[in-house]
Amino acid sequence: MAQAHVPMADKHRDRAPLFEGTAARFVGQKVLRKEDPRLVTGHGQYVDDIVLPGMVHAAFLRSNVAKGRITKLDTSPALALDGVIAVYTHADLRYVPGTIVATMMQAMGGAACPENLLATDDVRFVGDCIAVVVAESRYIAEDALELIDLVVVAETPVVNLEEALTDTHIVHKELGTNITGTIDIPRDPHIEGLLTESAHVVTATFNQARQTNSPMETRGIVASWDRFRGELQLHMSNQNPHEMRRRAADLLAVDESKVHVAQQDVGGGFGQKMFMPREEAVIVLLSREVGRPLKWIEDRRENLMASNHARRDRATVTFALDADKKIVAGYVDINEDAGAYPFGGAGAGAMAGMLLQGPYKLQRTAFKSYAVFTNTCGRAAYRGPWQFESVIREQMVEHVARRIGIDPVELRRRNVIQWEDLPWTTPMQVMVYDNMSPAETLDQAVEMIGYEAFRAEQKRAFEEEGRLLGIGFSLYIEPSAQNMGALATEGATVQISGTGKVDVFMGTGSHGQSIETTMAQIVAEELGVHVDDVEVHQGDSNTPFGGGTGGSRTASIVSGAGRAAAIQVRQKVFQIAAHLLEANPDDLEIDSSVISVKGTPAGKTVTLAQVSHTALYATEGLPPGMETGLEATARHRQEAVTWSNACHVCTVEINRNTGAVSFARYIVSEDCGLMINPMVVEGQVAGGVVQGIAGVLYEDFRYDADGNPLTTTFMDYLLPTAAEVPIIEHGHIETPSNTPGGYKGMGEGGAIGAPPCVFNAVADALWLLGVEVFDHPLGPNEILDALATAG
Amino acid sequence: MKPAPFEYHAPETIADAVGLLAQHGDDAKPLAGGQSLVPLLSLRLTRFDHLVDLNKIGALSGISRDNGHVVIGAMTRHRAVELDPSIATSVPMLAAAMPWIGHFQIRNRGTIGGSIAHADPAAELPAVAAALDAELEITSKSGVRRVAAADFFQGTFMTAIDTGELLTAARFPVWGKGSGFAFTEFARRSGDFAIAGVGVGLEATGGKITRAAIAFMGMGPVPVRATDAEKALLGVSIASLDAAAVARVAVGATDPTGDVHASAANRTKIATHLAEQALTRAASNAAANA
Repeated sequence: MAQAHVPMADKHRDRAPLFEGTAARFVGQKVLRKEDPRLVTGHGQYVDDIVLPGMVHAAFLRSNVAKGRITKLDTSPALALDGVIAVYTHADLRYVPGTIVATMMQAMGGAACPENLLATDDVRFVGDCIAVVVAESRYIAEDALELIDLVVVAETPVVNLEEALTDTHIVHKELGTNITGTIDIPRDPHIEGLLTESAHVVTATFNQARQTNSPMETRGIVASWDRFRGELQLHMSNQNPHEMRRRAADLLAVDESKVHVAQQDVGGGFGQKMFMPREEAVIVLLSREVGRPLKWIEDRRENLMASNHARRDRATVTFALDADKKIVAGYVDINEDAGAYPFGGAGAGAMAGMLLQGPYKLQRTAFKSYAVFTNTCGRAAYRGPWQFESVIREQMVEHVARRIGIDPVELRRRNVIQWEDLPWTTPMQVMVYDNMSPAETLDQAVEMIGYEAFRAEQKRAFEEEGRLLGIGFSLYIEPSAQNMGALATEGATVQISGTGKVDVFMGTGSHGQSIETTMAQIVAEELGVHVDDVEVHQGDSNTPFGGGTGGSRTASIVSGAGRAAAIQVRQKVFQIAAHLLEANPDDLEIDSSVISVKGTPAGKTVTLAQVSHTALYATEGLPPGMETGLEATARHRQEAVTWSNACHVCTVEINRNTGAVSFARYIVSEDCGLMINPMVVEGQVAGGVVQGIAGVLYEDFRYDADGNPLTTTFMDYLLPTAAEVPIIEHGHIETPSNTPGGYKGMGEGGAIGAPPCVFNAVADALWLLGVEVFDHPLGPNEILDALATAG
Repeated sequence: MKPAPFEYHAPETIADAVGLLAQHGDDAKPLAGGQSLVPLLSLRLTRFDHLVDLNKIGALSGISRDNGHVVIGAMTRHRAVELDPSIATSVPMLAAAMPWIGHFQIRNRGTIGGSIAHADPAAELPAVAAALDAELEITSKSGVRRVAAADFFQGTFMTAIDTGELLTAARFPVWGKGSGFAFTEFARRSGDFAIAGVGVGLEATGGKITRAAIAFMGMGPVPVRATDAEKALLGVSIASLDAAAVARVAVGATDPTGDVHASAANRTKIATHLAEQALTRAASNAAANA
């Protein structure tokens, strides 16, 4: 497997040197994941592994029509079944309006849609919750669901974007319109002129297919209300324990200190578990009514049809180029399908519009974006929520290249932002790019794939054998580690025990990001201890407040807090050690938990265990007046977003007989700043790439014309397996960011870059026959249809 | 996703099993490897008051020879057939089809009889049984009867098995010298139910085709035999077989429907290509076996 690794200049030479007084040993190394021994042997502890004494089980009655009026809802036959404890409907919930709305969204104007935790008098998508049964077992609960006497009079649903826009039928009658979240940045006369009078003006419409997060672990919750303490204990599969605590407290109208959220392992989320969903809110509310620990585990069918969907977007984009084929203006009209009950915000169109220029020196852009409600599953964040900007732009770049007759790599090279252009202010003056390397990643990817040789082979294979080979690129930048509101802050507590072992407490909600490993690397590095001596405790609300694990924020923001706390503790370690060694603290260094005087290899030493023993057990030995213990809590505030960037390139072949697409190579040249753990970086890239490949070639959540979901099992909703995805080759360029560690967030990039890359490769192959495609998905059926249009 | 309540029975003899099936009639369902039935029960797409688990009936497992047939007990696991070296020479089409059935974990548990009795139109074994004119052995309290594959598959998930009856074995005929076989299919992912698939058997004497069998899967409610194409092949020189032309005729026998994965027209396109591939390979295998 090809590997390339290019360090870029550090633009921040005034940065404090990394790891002062410690030997750099763990950061930047492929440290094996601490999580793996339990996870890969099947011994992770997930929410369904939680069994509490007296626990009872919930199951939801869900609508099987997309839109309709409830004319009868009689739960008494269900209640009569042996083992059923209670049946609840909307009327039984003591819901305080606004309490389910994500805390972050409350500051931004509240909920996008009505807050019907259970259906009121109508249902709005297939999967909409109508009632909940609580029973001694899940089996009994599901038996009881069948006994509920429900009559729904079906009404005409709104199933797709186009229908929603007409407002002929309305999803939420309270709102009177299906259109939500409209943002209109109009074209000024200058842009208008460029878009009409430039040497080349090209317009195209692209559609992205509906995809869902599909975590390996579905959602789930165990809520246990202690009525004597007035406290709620929540075990919950989530990404964001502090947000869950806040929402649960508000839902129950208790103090936040009366709620404890804890989880062990979380089997993925990709955005699905960042905020409080409707079902979990119902379980929280009912936990106090039921008085026994209450468990709800989402099953796979529920997860596929009713958890959250994403990616169903449409855009019409226009690019204007001058005679030199420099892109001078861009305009995009974005429509997003928000479904019926989106959560965590209706959509990401604004970010997609503002990032239209991506890594190119495109000076003039404008956009219009709106989301529409439909009678389908609600939208929520999915890894790279606004990745549509890269889909639109990168597919458009290659479309334009074909239309005006220029090589797509050459077109990118003429337009890409160069090192000397940085810092670079975006056309709308709201973002400043810095510390990125799009031109360098493009060059690296071109070199790794052997572009010229591939083009020659593509030509030969087509002319001599009629084979359809294709190559596609995508070049993008990734604003990661947001610097606003709760997302700008993280805290960490570092404590050293009396035996010299290190406990770290962080507010993160790891759901596969290797946080227990990477954050231990950071702390180990700063403290001068072995990484095995550091234990990261997280996934618990009894930690310093944090904004949750999502938005690619851990590497730079959480590490900033961990690093700062570790430095404070190290300073105290040196003060105590200096006292014990009768040396000057400034002369000390620590390596492998042994503190010595710099430059005196045979001199006196003291171990970290001796120092911590002194701090906690032999406190008389501390310097006069010094506070006991070795612990510190520090917070990090993110001043600016970090800009990761990458170039993806892949080569494919289309089977003309079956429409199947097979990969030859897939390369990612990534710049996420300094890497804490290159193996974890590559794992994150690969996971995202697979999801991106899936969005174009495999996953496609489909509804029929009546709003019935057609892909509600993994037999029809196709996740690619190891057999379907290529080996991913990695190139690395490291441009340090202006954060304490020089890191950048990168967790979402694979899923951002892959869809347009894969699409472009297929489109390139089809172009050999003069066939153009514009929409995802590109399964065999769509490809055979496209091939049938070839002359 | 939990099944509706059922009563579980685990008989140890065929007689006890058919006794239970007779006693409970349409309220009872035999449970073989459970690879299809259990998900259907869990999704509550189907329900039975009584499940008759066949896994303790040793007499239902095994591979034997009888009068020009290979007889496979209904509870024989796919994997056992796949790994049995004698199947590759006695019923080569069956051997060729086995690796296409699900994933190996599914084949470890799934059974020959379970798959045939389930009669999924996109499954491999019904197509192989149809192609080879297998006989299906059905047992009830009143005895044993044999049904030709052509009469066994009656519709999607529908077979000739009546209330109180149990599929106990499948009998695959052994073809002679000069025969060659192929089986292939196209699925979106490795191990998925196929969009389309085809099994082909050819037998030639003195270079002329004397016997031909072509059966499609996923191309209609039951496995589809391409009888017109088979007839047209008789007497044709195996060395100069026009596989593409025969494939076009063969696919004419099918009447596929579309679903989320492929339209009817694209299924036909894919099946034609698969048939051409399979005919070419079967002809080459037959020539090698002359």
